[in-house]
Amino acid sequence: MFSVFFTLIRKELLEHKVGLIFAPWIVACILACIIILVYLGITEIGEGEAVFSTTRYEDEDLVNGIREASEKQKTDLIRTALLLVGMPVLLVAGLAALAYSLTTFSDERKDKSVIFWRSLPVSDLTTIFSKLAVVVFCVPLIIVPSIIFLQIISLLSASTFFHFNEIVPFGYLWGFYLAIDWFRIIFSLWAQALWTLPILTWLMFTGSYAKKPIIAALVPIFAIVVLEEVILGTDRFYSTIFERLGPWSRSESLRNIFPEISVVDISDIYLLIISSEFWLGLLVSAFLIILTVKIRSRINYSSVD
Amino acid sequence: MSDQVVIKAENINKKYEGYSVLKNINFQLKKGQIMGLIGPNGAGKSTFIHAILGLLPVLGKLLVLDHNPINERHELMKKVCSITDVAVMPKWMTVQQVLKFVDGVHPNFDIGKAKQILLNTNIKEEHKIRTLSRGMVVQLHLTIAMAIDAELLVLDEPTLGLDLVYRKEFYSKLLEDYYDGDKTILISTHQVEEIEGVLSDVVFLRKGEVVQNSSIEDLNKRFLELRPNRENLEKANILNPISVREELGRKVFLYEEEDINKLSALGEVRPPAIADLFVAVMEERVKEVKNV
Repeated sequence: MFSVFFTLIRKELLEHKVGLIFAPWIVACILACIIILVYLGITEIGEGEAVFSTTRYEDEDLVNGIREASEKQKTDLIRTALLLVGMPVLLVAGLAALAYSLTTFSDERKDKSVIFWRSLPVSDLTTIFSKLAVVVFCVPLIIVPSIIFLQIISLLSASTFFHFNEIVPFGYLWGFYLAIDWFRIIFSLWAQALWTLPILTWLMFTGSYAKKPIIAALVPIFAIVVLEEVILGTDRFYSTIFERLGPWSRSESLRNIFPEISVVDISDIYLLIISSEFWLGLLVSAFLIILTVKIRSRINYSSVD
Repeated sequence: MSDQVVIKAENINKKYEGYSVLKNINFQLKKGQIMGLIGPNGAGKSTFIHAILGLLPVLGKLLVLDHNPINERHELMKKVCSITDVAVMPKWMTVQQVLKFVDGVHPNFDIGKAKQILLNTNIKEEHKIRTLSRGMVVQLHLTIAMAIDAELLVLDEPTLGLDLVYRKEFYSKLLEDYYDGDKTILISTHQVEEIEGVLSDVVFLRKGEVVQNSSIEDLNKRFLELRPNRENLEKANILNPISVREELGRKVFLYEEEDINKLSALGEVRPPAIADLFVAVMEERVKEVKNV
């Protein structure tokens, strides 16, 4: 059973390696190059207050602030900066996961390979779970190394720059907190994937039957949003969808129950898991998974011949 | 041949948008049989094959190796192997990846055997499926089928689009390397002549209906073809042939349930080719000639 599941996951990753594996790494490598170029003083990014450039460190106050920062201030600042550095990678991986969920079932119908897959002794439920395991479990595991790589490049570049410009010694920015944060990122990404699961399963469901999955996925949502607005004058459905697409730690509905959620942390994940919103999402996902299994097993793959 | 029923179909019906594709199909396939499901395009062959493979729900009672193909498809597929359409192989995979994948999910697949069979072909493990010719994809598919220890092999137009060499090779491999008398094979095709020598039984489908279901042995007993001498043409016609055709300027009469001695007195008698019988049935000559 486990070997079948492993084989299915391996197949999915092979088939979608460009979107799920290469794309986050390509983004991470491009960002790493940009960061190196910035610390070498060759380029700068951003504008005005948000500029990322070595010229910022010509400001004595800023340099003194770095030198005199407490341990907590220092680590908070570096952690936030490192999280921000990884954001583009997370964004690309998130978009790749959404695209994968939307197309994974429609592509196999388009090229008719579904007939080959279904000629093998694998149940539809196992197939769907393997695809979910890819987006929920594997994608975070794939992107975290690219984020770690990016963070290390950022720290190496910054440390080297600070060292040679006599701002702070080379080891000043490094600490054990980094390793802890890497674990935090993995767990929070798994939590994020589960938080977004209703969206992912909805996309898989529409991809399992629709000729144009993107339209089948968006039109009903758009219709419900408009109807709710017109009939009830509220935007609850829209907010719910929007919240599920964003970071779970910033969800208004969760913050209403647990105002203490501030940053992505293991203890915050516990708060997510005990929330009714989380379980409601899983319930909706389970319903959509059952529908997808039914449709995949009953859809007509044959032509009249 | 054993009495064990491999496929049991009772009153199978299927409609597409109000149009009946399968109409009250009843038939049984027993262990050890090599059955040809023969019919023109649009006869419902692929629909019926897809129903057998659990790819399509139908009305009626359909059991394959005692399994409901829709509800127990993944269990059924441990015992059934199929080549339904060569276009369905995943084009992005390499041959090695396909073999590894099947090995990973199929408990009865022997990857060593598959690799051994491939050594006798031009297919290399590092080849991508999309780079293989249609004939090579069929060869690969057949290799996978032969390396699976299945009870039932289902082939849906397996040689469609292949040249004559590949077609001949396909069926000779099927008989020499795969069929051992214990396995059951269902082949759907409209190219009757190429599987004629392979089959033990035939089912003719026309517009979703079974119009003939017999063993080759029975057909050879029931149907006879007469090439009468020139002077016996009139007598041959009087015996109510079910079809008459011209072959190299000579008339050939097809009879059902006619006395062989009576026919032998009129000319050369032999069992008809399945292809000729098929054409006779499909062209509805049976009815036309009988009405005349």
